[in-house]
Amino acid sequence: MNRTMLVAALLVAALPAAEAIAQGAPVGDAAKGRAKTQMCQGCHGIDGWRTAYPEVYTVPKLGNQHQSYLVTALQEYKNGQRSHPSMRAIAASLSDQDMADLAAYYAQSGEKMAGK
Amino acid sequence: MRANRLLTAVVVALSCVAAEAAAADIAAGKAKAAEVCETCHGAGGNSTSQDFPRLGGQYPDYLAKALRDYKSGDRKNPIMAGFAKPLSKADIDNLAAYYAAQPAAVSFKQ
Repeated sequence: MNRTMLVAALLVAALPAAEAIAQGAPVGDAAKGRAKTQMCQGCHGIDGWRTAYPEVYTVPKLGNQHQSYLVTALQEYKNGQRSHPSMRAIAASLSDQDMADLAAYYAQSGEKMAGK
Repeated sequence: MRANRLLTAVVVALSCVAAEAAAADIAAGKAKAAEVCETCHGAGGNSTSQDFPRLGGQYPDYLAKALRDYKSGDRKNPIMAGFAKPLSKADIDNLAAYYAAQPAAVSFKQ
């Protein structure tokens, strides 16, 4: 009986960990991410580029941003927590692996880091 | 009469310039940042936690838009909503100007 209870307790304790492994977030590959930036470059690839709709503001710099924050931002566009129409459309087309790869790429320092 | 009109025009023009200059107060932004933002976003917006974005060197109009969206609820994040709601328009502009003026934690990347 004691042994059964111990096993049961261990199983319950292990559940969240097992779940996390099963849902395992994909590991980002920066080189693959670089190859997926075509959709990003039209705005984020031009320093100081401003988006015009629905509001005019400069699109954010992405270089050296935290990798997991970048993934979160893309997920939030995909699930509607963030509303920018272009970003929603683009994020909707990305898989979790695409997001991880793009985040890995942009988390690297930008070209202008040293000069600024 | 004509002189009065001219004077009015000059005063209006000068007050526009003054309003423009007063649009962002980096020192006030620094004080507000120390009070509200730094615990998570780090000194100078160079956060060390993956969960909190780096803000230093980001474009000021993007930062201000993000804060306005958190405040309005257009961008949904319970933590940031709590911090953004009490901010005035001046607070938002000052914070944006302060973080944009910090050494670049983020950088332009193609």
